[in-house]
Amino acid sequence: MRSTSARLTALATFPEEHPRLRHLGGVRWGLLVSALLLAAVGMATVHSASSELAVDYLPKQALRIVVGLVAFALAFSLDYQTLAKFSVPIYAGAILLLVLVLLVGSEAGGARSWLRLGAAQLQPSDIAKLATILLLARYLAGINRRFVRIPQIFMACSITALPVLLVALERDLGGAAMFFPILAGMLLVSGVRWRVLVAGAVILLLLGGLVWNFGMLDYQRARVKTFLSPGSDPLDSGYQLQQSKIAVGSGMLIGRGYMQGTQSQLRFLPARHTDFVFAVLAEEWGFVGVLVVLGLFSSYIMSGFAVALRARDRTAILLVVGLLSLVSFHVLYNTAMVVGLVPITGIPLPFLSYGGSFIVANFAAAGLILGVDFRRHVNR
Amino acid sequence: MMEVREHREDLILRLPALRLTFLVVIVLIAACYWFVQVVHGSFYRERAENNRLRKAAIQAPRGRIYDRHGRLLVENIPSYRLLLDRSRSRDLDTSIRFAARTLERPASDLQRLLDRARGTSVYQPVVLADDLSLVQVARFSVEALEHPEFEVDVEHVRLYRNGPTTAHVLGYLGEATESELRTATGELQSGDLIGRRGIESQQDSFLRGRDGERVVVVDSRGRLREEHGNRQAFSGHDLELTLDLELQQEAARYFADRVGAAVALDPRNGEILALVSAPSYDPNVFARHLEREQWREIVEAPHDPLQNRAIQNVYSPGSVFKIVVAVAGLEEGVVDSDDRYFCGGSTKIYNRRFRCWKPGGHGSVNLHQAIQKSCDVYFYHLGQKLGVEKIAHYARLFGLGKPTGVDLAGEKRGLIPDLDWSLRSRGTPWYPGETISVAIGQGPLLVTPLQVATLMAVIANGGYLVEPHLVAGGAPVPPRPVAVSAASRELVRKALWAVVNDRGTGAIARLDRVEIAGKTGTVQVVEQKDWIDSKDLPFEQRDHAWFGSFAPANEAELVVVVFVEHGGKGSEQAAPLAKILYEKYFSQADGARDIS
Repeated sequence: MRSTSARLTALATFPEEHPRLRHLGGVRWGLLVSALLLAAVGMATVHSASSELAVDYLPKQALRIVVGLVAFALAFSLDYQTLAKFSVPIYAGAILLLVLVLLVGSEAGGARSWLRLGAAQLQPSDIAKLATILLLARYLAGINRRFVRIPQIFMACSITALPVLLVALERDLGGAAMFFPILAGMLLVSGVRWRVLVAGAVILLLLGGLVWNFGMLDYQRARVKTFLSPGSDPLDSGYQLQQSKIAVGSGMLIGRGYMQGTQSQLRFLPARHTDFVFAVLAEEWGFVGVLVVLGLFSSYIMSGFAVALRARDRTAILLVVGLLSLVSFHVLYNTAMVVGLVPITGIPLPFLSYGGSFIVANFAAAGLILGVDFRRHVNR
Repeated sequence: MMEVREHREDLILRLPALRLTFLVVIVLIAACYWFVQVVHGSFYRERAENNRLRKAAIQAPRGRIYDRHGRLLVENIPSYRLLLDRSRSRDLDTSIRFAARTLERPASDLQRLLDRARGTSVYQPVVLADDLSLVQVARFSVEALEHPEFEVDVEHVRLYRNGPTTAHVLGYLGEATESELRTATGELQSGDLIGRRGIESQQDSFLRGRDGERVVVVDSRGRLREEHGNRQAFSGHDLELTLDLELQQEAARYFADRVGAAVALDPRNGEILALVSAPSYDPNVFARHLEREQWREIVEAPHDPLQNRAIQNVYSPGSVFKIVVAVAGLEEGVVDSDDRYFCGGSTKIYNRRFRCWKPGGHGSVNLHQAIQKSCDVYFYHLGQKLGVEKIAHYARLFGLGKPTGVDLAGEKRGLIPDLDWSLRSRGTPWYPGETISVAIGQGPLLVTPLQVATLMAVIANGGYLVEPHLVAGGAPVPPRPVAVSAASRELVRKALWAVVNDRGTGAIARLDRVEIAGKTGTVQVVEQKDWIDSKDLPFEQRDHAWFGSFAPANEAELVVVVFVEHGGKGSEQAAPLAKILYEKYFSQADGARDIS
């Protein structure tokens, strides 16, 4: 029989079963602050980019950010362990949506990847990315070994391959490509032996050759070719690439001033409020603006890593790593694409680009990351 | 509880490497931006300034529209606009003064246009004037060195050669709205014009071409330096209508100071030769940039000129409807050709007095005479015997109460009242006295002028319901036979002949050249206690005038329906136009015969 005081001591030393409100102060709020600052910069740039269009996209963008904040609050309040428990049905639901979009989706820019829900539009691949991260986190956390073994790698690849295949069938090449950094990031953190890594790289190269020859549509091949020799197709991809580079370059050090970019204001630059919003920013705010935004993204990612480093369990770490891989790859690819380092494909810039459910998904991801941080003291 | 040691630390140890990778890549990307923006910035700045790659649309000309004899109704003409690029102007005041002098317009007008554009980017050209004359274009070109800020661009605009005369048939163009842009992905671009109303709207995709595109390098003056490649524009298809411009013009002229509608169609195939609605508007106003006041002027004009009264307004058919009631009576065996009723100027049914239009009455009349003289009392009795359900059945057989299927948007279906309608729509049972009104085409009954034309065609063409149409050369819709015996149709047809040619109510339409058959109608708008000539009433209370007709009476080639809103008597106000149109049509036909 134990004394009351002994029991009290036991309770005090064990972590709580539920997060306490006082833990709210310890959460890495810097991550949300970066996200909000980026969203504000995005709204201003989208406004400038659409100022010569019939419609100003700013109000719609602002509305989406409000919806995004609701998604943030929702994701923050959900326990990631509960989410992991339900990751299989969530994943199945996301797959179902992807199939649905293949059947009844609407087309934009050569890809059939949108679902209309009344006035709102939904891109199910955004949901599928989050669902895949969740299921991978649960699966890889359950392995609980120093290194994952080859059959387990295959399993993780299969989990990823299913949505990738469906998104590729929508002819949304960029969207499909975004699943690979998620898988790579999460597998690397789970532990892959060097020899497996090298073998994997070789197989990927071979696979890439096969896809180029048999799996790609002409316009997709054209985009890659244009990237390799710009000017060969001045009407479409090459035109966009040249205009984007002129926009970025003419911004020089301090930019041409807000709403004064000739490339953007004279409508030379296509997709300037969506995938190429960063080119508008670079033109109007110059290298200084570019550094500020890249700095804000770095601060976001670094806060995310800090959360992962002090996370309580494997599921939490893997979940955060998956989300960070997704966001950081979007940031790196999009900014590299705008300056002409990589082929043009439909990959928007998180928090800044105008568009649909992507911005909502990004706020939801931020909510999940901070939700992990909030529950780092909880006993399991 | 079993303790499982989690391999958490292994994961933690690998995180810094991933973080470092991110940092390295983002620094590399930043370095690239530094290289492009700072090291090579001036190179790109110069290209942005001077060597502008511009993607310009090549406007595809829209198809032209012709009438049935190949006369041009709509064409495209070039229109020159004056644009001011504020970023190139050294001093805006000087620029405005120069433009005002050249355009011979007050500088304050131009200043107002400029003020309106304040707040938009200075690189976005402001349109200062539409429709420059060639002399003005030349003057701006001559001064191009001195005033590089001005640019003249050419646009194709629609010219509706006959303005208001064909407005309701042809419609006009307007800029595509945001929702239209969304539903027509890829096909339409912001700023594109699409058909609004009429044939322009109905046949939009046929008439509209596909714009081409070209990428050109322009210099800082906006002048072409080289072309980088282009995609061809495809012009729209030309369209031929069944319309006969001369008939259309005659009808429009008649309606110059009247309100109403007229339809002329070929009862053998439904081809519409004339379709006029008055008052009308000038569609050419919409071809240019429309000022808000101009739009308000059109929308707020009296009698709503945008409304196509031939298909979008519904009216009581008045005595024209007696054709339907007569056929119903014969078909149902309620009367035969010899049955007579006595008309003493009025009659009492259901304890209420119903007046005939003729104060003294018609005496004893049979069905033929009742139609010929348009005797209301005869039809009151016939209507009472038939009942509203039977009348409604035959009205539907004649195509009333549903759209005729004409190839114009916004057609109204009209209303055929019956017991069920009364309960459903009004929530009250049908009042038998209403049947008496319906029998002479009054009461809740509503039709469009075009429906009356198809109704006349059934009597004219030997019992077929045609689908009226304006586009020539389409796959013909086979006329549907109407389940009515030839004997009833013949009796009515002969009576309609007598209306015009044997001292009937339509005698005013009589023509020597060809025999016309028809039926007049006068619709009371406000219930009158006594026999009153509505000419003395205020406009809104005057009677509506109808004349439904066809000719030649025995083998009809043309149906003409005329409706004059608040015109007064059908015989006086509507029939004369029918006469004019037949005169025109048959003199054309004779002319064609003489040539061949």
